[in-house]
Amino acid sequence: MIVLAGAFVLLIVGFVMGAIGSKLFGGEEAEPFIPRPEVHLPPQAVLAADAEEVEAAHKLPGRFILTNTLLSSWIATAVLLVLFFFGTRGLRADKAPRGIQNFVEGIISAMYSFVEGVAGRENARRFFPLFATIFLFVLFNAWLGLLPVYPSLGFKEHGEIVRHLLRPAGTDLNMPLALAIVSFVFVEFWGVRTLGLGYLGKFFRFGNLLRGQIFQGFIDIFVGILELLSEFIRIVSFTFRLFGNMTAGEILLLVTAFLIPFAFALPFYGLELLVGFIQALIFSGLTLVFVVLAIQPHEGEEGHGGH
Amino acid sequence: MAELGFHWPSLIVYLLNFTLLLVILYLVAYKPILRVLDQRSNNIRESLEQAERAQKEAAERQAQFERQLAEARRGTQAQLEEAQKRITQYEQQQKERADQIVGEELNRARSEIQRERDMAVEELRAQFGDLAITAAERVVRRSLDSTAHREIIDEVLREGGALDRRR
Repeated sequence: MIVLAGAFVLLIVGFVMGAIGSKLFGGEEAEPFIPRPEVHLPPQAVLAADAEEVEAAHKLPGRFILTNTLLSSWIATAVLLVLFFFGTRGLRADKAPRGIQNFVEGIISAMYSFVEGVAGRENARRFFPLFATIFLFVLFNAWLGLLPVYPSLGFKEHGEIVRHLLRPAGTDLNMPLALAIVSFVFVEFWGVRTLGLGYLGKFFRFGNLLRGQIFQGFIDIFVGILELLSEFIRIVSFTFRLFGNMTAGEILLLVTAFLIPFAFALPFYGLELLVGFIQALIFSGLTLVFVVLAIQPHEGEEGHGGH
Repeated sequence: MAELGFHWPSLIVYLLNFTLLLVILYLVAYKPILRVLDQRSNNIRESLEQAERAQKEAAERQAQFERQLAEARRGTQAQLEEAQKRITQYEQQQKERADQIVGEELNRARSEIQRERDMAVEELRAQFGDLAITAAERVVRRSLDSTAHREIIDEVLREGGALDRRR
C-alpha cells in the first residue's frame, strides 16, 4: 500500500514537474525539471580533443577514437569476463555448484539446451560458442545500458551534459554491424566447411541451363542470385533490427523521463529489459537458424528460402 | 551512413572486441563448463544405472532367499510329516506287538487253565470212580458181574458228570 501510494505521489509530482506539467502550469518560459534531451545517432567521442575534431569535421574522423558506446561495450565485455572468471574458478564435476558458479552454469546449460533444441545434439557443441557469445554480448550491453549511471555520467558545458561518458553499445550502428558480419562469416564458413564447394551451388545454379533447359535454367540462375542477395541482406536486417530496437528504447526512456520524470518511466524500464532479452535471443537465435540452414544439404532443392 | 554513425575504425574495434570475447569465453567458460556438465550428467547417469543394477540385484537376492526359505520350510514340513508317520507306525507296531503278546499270554493262560481243569476233572473222575466202586462194594456187599459193574459205574459217572456240570 505504502509503496503504491508513494509511486502515485511520485507520478503526480513527476507530472507537475516534468515537461508537460511545466508547460501546463508554469507558462511558456518555465523550464522543465529535466533538460530537453538531445538525440545523437552517431556515438560521441569521450576525449575532449576527439570531440573537438568531430565538431570541426561534422563527422567521426577516419581514425580510431574512443567513443562512449565503445567504452560501454568494453565495460559489458569486462563484466562478462569477470562474471565467468569468478564463476568457473571452483569448477569441478564431482562437486555441486555453489553461488555464482551455480548461476553461470545455469545460464550456460539453459543456452546449451536451447542450441540443442534448434541445431540438434550432434551440432550443438560446434555452434554453441557463437550463439552464446552473441546472446550474452547483446544482452549485457542492453541491460547494462539501463543502469542509471549511463544517462547521468557525462561532460558538462554551461550546466548541461553535452557529451555522455557511456551509452549502450547497441545504439551504435557499428556494434550490430560487427555482430552481423561475424554472424555472416560464420554462416558461410560452416556452410562451406560442411558441404564443401557444393554449398556454393545454392547460389550459382547453372545445372539446368547447361543441360539445355533454357527457361528452367534462367529461373534457376535468378533464384541463385536471390539466394546470394538474401545472404547479404541478412547483414543489413540484423544490423538495423538491433540498432533500431536499442536506439528506439534509449530514446523512449529519454523522452518519458523528460515528459514525466520519476515513476512514469518505470514500466518502460521493464519493457526495455524485455526488449533487450528478446533482441539478444533474436540475434543469436537467427544466427543459429541460418547456420543450421546453411549446413543442410540442398541437392535438387528449388527456391530454398533465406528465412 | 555517416549520419547514422557508421565508422570504419569503430567497426574494426568491435569486430576485434567480439572475436576476443568469443575466444576468451570459449576457453574460460564454455569449454570447461560444458565438460563439467557432461561429466556430471555422465556421473548421474552412471549412478542411476548403478542404483538400478543394485536394486535388481537386491530383488534377485530377495527372491532367492525367499525361494530358499520356502524350500527349507517345505523340507521341514516333510521331515515333520515323516517323523509323525514314523511315530504313528511305531505306535501301531508297538500296539500290535503288545496285543500279540497279551493275546499269546492270554491264550497260554487259558489253555493252561483248561488243561488244569481237564486234569482236575480227570483226577476227580478217577477218584470219583474209585470212590464210587468202593462205596458201591461197601453198600451192596455183593458181587456182581462185570457188565453190571460197568453199567453202575457209568451211571454213577454220568451222575457225577451232571454233578460236575451243575457245579
